Amino acid sequence: MPFKFHGGVHPDYKKAPDVPVTFITPPPQVVVPMAQHIGAPCKPLVAVGDQVTMGQKIGENEAPVSAPIHSPVSGKVIAIEPRPHPLGDMIPAVVIENDGLDTPCTDLAPLTEEELNDQDAILIRIREAGIVGMGGAMFPTAFKIRGGLGKVDTLIINGAECEPYLNGDHLTMLNHPEELLKGIQLARIASGLDKAYYGIEKNKQDAIDLLNSLHPEQYGVEIVPEEVKYPQGGEKLQIKAITNREVKPGGLPAGVGCNVISTQTAYAIYRACYEGVPCFERTLTMAGSAIAHPVNAVCRVGTPFSYLVEQCGGFVKEPKKVVLGGPMMGLIATNLEAVNIKGTAGILFFTEEEDRTVENPTCIHCGQCLTVCPMKLEPLYMYKYFQKRDFEKMQQYHVLDCIECGCCSYNCPGRLPLTHSFKTAKILFAVRAAEEKARAEAAAKEAEHK
Amino acid sequence: MTPKEYTFDAGYQPQVRARRGTREIMLDVIIALLPAVAVGVWQFGFAALIPVATSIASCVFFEWGYRKLMKKPSSIGDLSAVLTGLLLAMTLPGNTPWWIPIIGAFFSIVLVKQLYGGIGKNFLNPALAGRAFLFASYATIMVNWNGWLGSVDAVSTATPLAQLYAAEPTAPTISMLDMFLGKMPGCFGEVSTLALLLGGVYLLCRKVITWHIPVSCFATVAVLTLIFGNGGMNHVDWMLYNLLSGGLVLGTIFMATDYSTSPVTARGRIIYGIGIGVLTVVIRYFGGYPEGNTFAILIMNCCAWFLDQLTQPRQFGVTREDVKAKKAAAKAAKKEAKEAAANG
Repeated sequence: MPFKFHGGVHPDYKKAPDVPVTFITPPPQVVVPMAQHIGAPCKPLVAVGDQVTMGQKIGENEAPVSAPIHSPVSGKVIAIEPRPHPLGDMIPAVVIENDGLDTPCTDLAPLTEEELNDQDAILIRIREAGIVGMGGAMFPTAFKIRGGLGKVDTLIINGAECEPYLNGDHLTMLNHPEELLKGIQLARIASGLDKAYYGIEKNKQDAIDLLNSLHPEQYGVEIVPEEVKYPQGGEKLQIKAITNREVKPGGLPAGVGCNVISTQTAYAIYRACYEGVPCFERTLTMAGSAIAHPVNAVCRVGTPFSYLVEQCGGFVKEPKKVVLGGPMMGLIATNLEAVNIKGTAGILFFTEEEDRTVENPTCIHCGQCLTVCPMKLEPLYMYKYFQKRDFEKMQQYHVLDCIECGCCSYNCPGRLPLTHSFKTAKILFAVRAAEEKARAEAAAKEAEHK
Repeated sequence: MTPKEYTFDAGYQPQVRARRGTREIMLDVIIALLPAVAVGVWQFGFAALIPVATSIASCVFFEWGYRKLMKKPSSIGDLSAVLTGLLLAMTLPGNTPWWIPIIGAFFSIVLVKQLYGGIGKNFLNPALAGRAFLFASYATIMVNWNGWLGSVDAVSTATPLAQLYAAEPTAPTISMLDMFLGKMPGCFGEVSTLALLLGGVYLLCRKVITWHIPVSCFATVAVLTLIFGNGGMNHVDWMLYNLLSGGLVLGTIFMATDYSTSPVTARGRIIYGIGIGVLTVVIRYFGGYPEGNTFAILIMNCCAWFLDQLTQPRQFGVTREDVKAKKAAAKAAKKEAKEAAANG
C-alpha cells in the first residue's frame, strides 16, 4: 500500500492512451544538439561531409557528468553550427542529411548472457548508449546509479506519469511490458540491489494488470499501484509514496537511500543492453487545441517541431504557446525550428483556450496554495516577500525548497504567477550568491596585496 | 522552410490552471447563502428583500466608485462586493429601513476594505465591521425585531438570545425546533441554523472553506457553555440554546472563514476558531451586548496575521526532532553569544 503525501491537485488529465502509437518517419534533415543532458555538453566527433550510420556516436565528452550523443539516422553531415535549442539559445548541433536507409551502426553489440548479469558491464553500456533521465530532467543515468552505489538501498522506477496529456510511459508499458521489466532488472543489477519498485498511478490499470501478469517478481520488480494525484511522479513524492521516507530540504534522494529512474529510461536501458541500440528515440505525446489531431508517437531526437506539427495535421488554430513536457512543469519553446531531444516527453501546442491568465492577479489570502503544496510551504507568503525582494524572509519561508510542481499556481483563484516567481527567486538567490562570492574573493585579493 | 511566422507566449509555469477563480468562489458563497435568504423571506416577508437589495447595490456602487476615483482597475467582476452586501444585509434585522445598509456599505467597502487595498488586503471583515458600526450608531433601529411575521406582542419579539441573557435569564419562549428551523425573531439571515448549516456543508463539499474554523469554534462554544451553564436550566439545554441563537452560526460559517481576515495555516485556523469561541462566550456572559460573535470575530481578525506567523507548518522532510534540534541549537548559540559578550 503506497504512502500518502500532503496536498497535490487533480488537473483535467486529457490523456489519450487509446490513440495508437505512430512511428514518425525521420525528417529529411535532422538537427542533433550537442547538449541533451545536464552536465558538460558534448564535442562533435564528426566533421562536415562525413557519412554516419544510425546509432553512430557523434558527440562525446569525457567529463563524468555527461552522456554521449548518437546519430538518429544514417546519412551525411552537412553542417556543424549553432542551431535553436528547444530550451532557448543557440547550441552547437550536428546537422545530418537523412539518406532514408537507416543503416544501423554496429559499434554497440548486444551484451552477452554473462555481461547482462555484470554490474560494471551494464553501467558502461548505459554510459556508452548515452542514456539520460527521459522523464525530462535528463540527468546522465550511469552517473546517477554509480553515485548511489553503497548509499542506495531502494531503486524506484517512476511510472506515475502524473502530468496531463502525456501517454508515452503508459504506452511503453502496454507495448513493451516484458522489455520494460528486463530493463528494470538491468537497472536493478547495475545498482547492486535485489529488488526494484515500480510505482504506477492507478489510472493505468490496464498496464498494471499486464505487468503483473508477466510475473514481475521473476525480474526482482514489485509493481506498486499509486493514488492518482499530481505530482505523484515528482521524485521526492514518489520516494515518499513507496518508502515513506522524506528527502530532507536541500537533500538528494540518495540521502534517504533511494534512486528514481523513469519508465522510458528503463526501456532505453533494455534496448541498449539487449539490442545494442543507443538512446536516440523515444515515445512522446503531441497534443493541445492548436493541432488537428493529437498523436502518440515514437520519434527520433533531432526532429524539428515544424516537421512534427505537419505530422499532426498542422495547426487548426493560432498557437500561442509551445510547451515541452507536461503542462504543469513543462518549459516553453519559442521557436518551431528547435528540435526534440532525449528528455522531451511531450510537445503541447496551446491556444488561448488553455490560457487562464488575468490582467490583475490578486491574492485573496484564501490559503488554497497551502492546501495543495506537497512540500508544505506557504506560497502566498513566499510570493509576498518575493515581490518585496526580501531575501531573508524568502529564506525563512523556504523558497529554495520549492519543487516547482506548479500546484499552487494551478489552484490559485487569484491567478498569481506563484511558481514562476519562485523559479525567478531561485535565480535571484543564485545571482546573489555569485556576487557575494566575487566580492569575498576581491576582498581576499585586496587583503593579500596589503 | 518556415511556413508561417508565429509569435509565442513566454508563458508562466504551469501552462494550465484550474477553472475556478475568485469570482467562482464568491459565487459559491453566495449560492451557499441562498437557503438562509429564503428562510429570511419566509420569516420577514418579501419587504425584507428591500434592505438586501440596497445593501448589495450600494456595496457594488462604492466598490466601483472608489476604484474609479482612485484610477485602479475595476474589481466588481470578482463578486466580492456583492457578497459583502449580501452578508451585511443578512446581519441586519428584517425590518431595517432601506437607507441603513447604504451607510453600512460605505463603512464596509470604503473604510474597511478599499482603503487597505481591496480584496485580500483588509484586516477586518467588511460586512461585520459594517454591522458593528451600524449597531453602535443606530442602536434602537438595530434591535427592533418587530418585523418578524410571527410577532404578536412585545414579549414574543425579544430574541431568544436576549431572553437567555436577560437580567433574570429564562428559557426562550420559542421551541428549540423552531429556533433550528428559523421561526424566531432576529436578523434577516441569522435565524435559521438549518439553512446556514446546509450552506456550510455546501462550502465544505466545494472546498471553499476548510473544517478547521467552524468546527473548532462551535466545539469551543459548546464545551464552555456546557461547563458553565446558566439560567437555572439543564446545562445541555443551555448549550443548545446558545448554539442556536444569535449570529453564531452565520458568523462562524460565513464570516469567520472570510479569506482575507482569517489565518491560512491549519493550526492557525484552529487557534483562531477557538479564540472566536472563547470570546463569544465571554462577551455573552459578561458583555453589555447579548451578541458576542460579531465582536469576537472582529477581535480575532486582528490576530489572524500574527497566528499565521506563529504557526508556520513543518515543511516536507523536516521531522519534529529536526525542529527541536534547530531550536536547541539556536538557543545554545544565543547563550554562547551572551556569554561571549559578558566575557569580552
